[in-house]
Amino acid sequence: MSLSPEMSALAALARRVKARAAVLGADEVTVSVSRASHVTLKRRDGHTEQSTEATTRGLTLSVLVGDRFTSNATSDLREEALESFLARCVAAARWLEPDDKRRLPDPSLVGRGVSERTLDQDDPAWAARTPADREARARALEEGILALGGVDRVSVVASVTDGRAESFRTSTNGFEDGSAGTFFSSGGELVLADGDKRPAGGADYTTRHLADQPTVERVVREAVERTRWTVGSHPIPSGKYPMILENRIAGRILGMLSGPISGASLHERRSCLLDRRGTRIASPLLDILDDPTIPRGLGSRPWDGDGLVARPMPVVRDGVLQDYYVSTYHSRKLGIPPTTGGRSNWVVRPGTRPFATIARDLPRAISITSFLGGSSNAATGDFSMGVRGLLLEHGEVVAHLSEMNVSGNLLTLLDSLAEVGNDPWTWGAVRTPAMVWPEIQFSGS
Amino acid sequence: MEPTDPFRSFRPFGIDDDLVRRVLDEATRDGCDDADVFFEHSISTSVGLSDHAVNRAHTSIDLGAGVRVVVGDQVGYAYTEDLAPEALLRCAATARAIARTATPAPRGTTWKVASVRDLHPVQRWWSDVELDVRIPMIRRWEQGAFARDPRVRKVQCSLGDEDQWILVARADGTVAADHRPMTYGTVSVTVEQGTQRETGGYNVAGRADLGYYDEARQRRMVELAVSRGLRALDATSPPAGEMPVVLGAGGSGVLLHEAIGHGMEADFNRKNISIYATKMGQRIAGPDVTVIDSALLPHARGALNVDDEGSPTEETVLVRNGILESYLHDRISARHYSVASTGSGRRESFRAPVLPRMRCTYLAPGPVPPEDIIRSVKRGLYAEVLGGGQVRIGAGDFSFFVRQGWLIEDGVLTKPVKDVNLTGNGPEVLRTIEQVGNDLVVDEGGWTCGKEGQGVPVSQGLPTVLVGRLSVGGGRE
Repeated sequence: MSLSPEMSALAALARRVKARAAVLGADEVTVSVSRASHVTLKRRDGHTEQSTEATTRGLTLSVLVGDRFTSNATSDLREEALESFLARCVAAARWLEPDDKRRLPDPSLVGRGVSERTLDQDDPAWAARTPADREARARALEEGILALGGVDRVSVVASVTDGRAESFRTSTNGFEDGSAGTFFSSGGELVLADGDKRPAGGADYTTRHLADQPTVERVVREAVERTRWTVGSHPIPSGKYPMILENRIAGRILGMLSGPISGASLHERRSCLLDRRGTRIASPLLDILDDPTIPRGLGSRPWDGDGLVARPMPVVRDGVLQDYYVSTYHSRKLGIPPTTGGRSNWVVRPGTRPFATIARDLPRAISITSFLGGSSNAATGDFSMGVRGLLLEHGEVVAHLSEMNVSGNLLTLLDSLAEVGNDPWTWGAVRTPAMVWPEIQFSGS
Repeated sequence: MEPTDPFRSFRPFGIDDDLVRRVLDEATRDGCDDADVFFEHSISTSVGLSDHAVNRAHTSIDLGAGVRVVVGDQVGYAYTEDLAPEALLRCAATARAIARTATPAPRGTTWKVASVRDLHPVQRWWSDVELDVRIPMIRRWEQGAFARDPRVRKVQCSLGDEDQWILVARADGTVAADHRPMTYGTVSVTVEQGTQRETGGYNVAGRADLGYYDEARQRRMVELAVSRGLRALDATSPPAGEMPVVLGAGGSGVLLHEAIGHGMEADFNRKNISIYATKMGQRIAGPDVTVIDSALLPHARGALNVDDEGSPTEETVLVRNGILESYLHDRISARHYSVASTGSGRRESFRAPVLPRMRCTYLAPGPVPPEDIIRSVKRGLYAEVLGGGQVRIGAGDFSFFVRQGWLIEDGVLTKPVKDVNLTGNGPEVLRTIEQVGNDLVVDEGGWTCGKEGQGVPVSQGLPTVLVGRLSVGGGRE
């Protein structure tokens, strides 16, 4: 663990706060401190629209006083303010009812699961980044879109954001560690004239390392193509259609699974997957691994929210539910062993064929290009969401779709998965390939 | 509020007139059209109940300042949690980096203290209320929910509140301060019948003190949370496809928020990327349609005494009798359009720059009794309990989620339905508002509007309304 001088000072503060809380009567204490810097540059139509820069910091404190639990946060780190904050947090606990399940995890379960070197989250290139670098990237994106955008363009936006965050955490169960990570984002957006309408589209990418950012050409090509897909869009008749999802979109549908398999949902009995561990919940094609150890992964982490050692966890294997997301607290509530409280990276096992080949074999299918609102009910699995998309015939785009909904039930959806592509999306924390379903309910005109 | 000394709430943090002036001088050194510094101090508390015990509490303190420098429509922004003079001056210098203009900065030689209303007077600020006052109340909610029906298996309740103090000082010498209360309460239940499980919930929010929770409101929270859960046990999916939709009074205001409200925010129009950018003064809806965005409804969650740029707030008529009349302006767009700000400049916190935002958006009541509206529909959907919505500002397509409603068959509510998303196109839907009821209700729920990553509290309301057609995302088997 290597901390910057500013962060070392915050770490020392965290240790002092921990000790002081104990003096004030707390039996168990966890203190986290963080410090983050970020810079955003947004250009629109040839000039800088917004530039934001800040270094931000904060402290969170959880205390257990006679098994009474409070969690607290402050950005006012002046010594005198912290003293009264601490007193207030400890004193507030006396009004609560005891809950011994809030106790810190057993020391044998906490610690670092993977080295900083392996995770490779902290890019030294960030420190050398200059305003001119950001300006150059934003201008290149803007000029690229302007060159391809066409005469019907209304507005072009390019954004560049990057930052670095450090955190440190110390607990009375012996856990103490810090981590640091950088991020780099850039993207472009195009707005086109389409009669009275001004449809917009774009593409953006976030990476841990600067060198991993996609080429300007790639972002520009995608931003322009995805905006073109929104022009002349309309709903088509309601009915059941085969559905094929690009890798970048499939994660959103699959993400509905994380609600019903969370310990909180199980405990509140708000889950359509209660008592289903070890049983088949999906097509045997579906295989999901939660992997917090992926180098440079956006969801990677050395430990989880409880300080539990991070390690890969199979979630679904060959369609069988392997494990729930169970935090320390909910493990005690449910009387089952803890796994981890929340998702890191999801790695979905790829199939054998790419999106384009699969699409060619489908006489007619809807490909969703973006979602617009909607919701899913974790207790029943029912979902209904607004979508935009493309109507494909043998892989060729024959109509641009909007003002439509897709609806169904999560369990039926998982069961009826027909094919998984060989092209996982590696730019996000959910690494899904393309996915195909034979028949999904769409509502339109 | 505090007309004599707007700096009062921030003096304990070392902030005074002189320091604020130095920060603004630093921010405006290279010239600009506008500049401000926004200070915020907030204390929020929540207590939660689950498994029959009030067993968690959370306190959060936020303190910081943001400095903004504006040249034309360009914004430089920087913020800090450290209110020491050197940190604030550094922040001002960072925000200034964007500003390179020959325009000399506006400079007020003396402070002009903005007069600030008090729409939500309180007896006792939340930060002076001990937890032991809050706890018996949420315990009563829980006991009430369990007592209502044996099918209630789990109950969760929470009560949250916030005191927020703000101070905004502009380069032109305007200074405004406000103290804003907020409270929100939620009851949610899981009900079981055989192997079937469902959830129900109800939440309320407002700028008010403990007195907000009168007996009637507390009873309503419990009753509706349970009855919604139980009704879901019998509800099914409606058919898929286009049909007439009757929007029940209240939370259905989310339709206005998405179909028209966002498109009226002047930044989108100034940039020419709203579907309403060329419609000012034109007919966009029938003569029964008057849409208002008001900051002035006492105790509403979206109410504002003064906006986050120090501008006075107002009731803004967006659409009058079907004619588009005004956008929602902050100071940047007001300057662009040469109009006065509508007091709609808002920010999530000191960490975010101002944007034009909605406050409390509602449709003025019309002439029709609600039962007549339902009776006029041969086959359609009645939307009663609303979830969130979303819109594409430029293309105009929007959607909102109906948690619960009814099928209308031959003018009668027949079968309960649930969990269905509705989509349409904003301008087209406005044109197909066929009947407006006489029963306006401003919803009491805890709505939060998201825009460019910033969430701000809003309210919305609607009388019962018939929309000619929306695409209903049903058809689940």
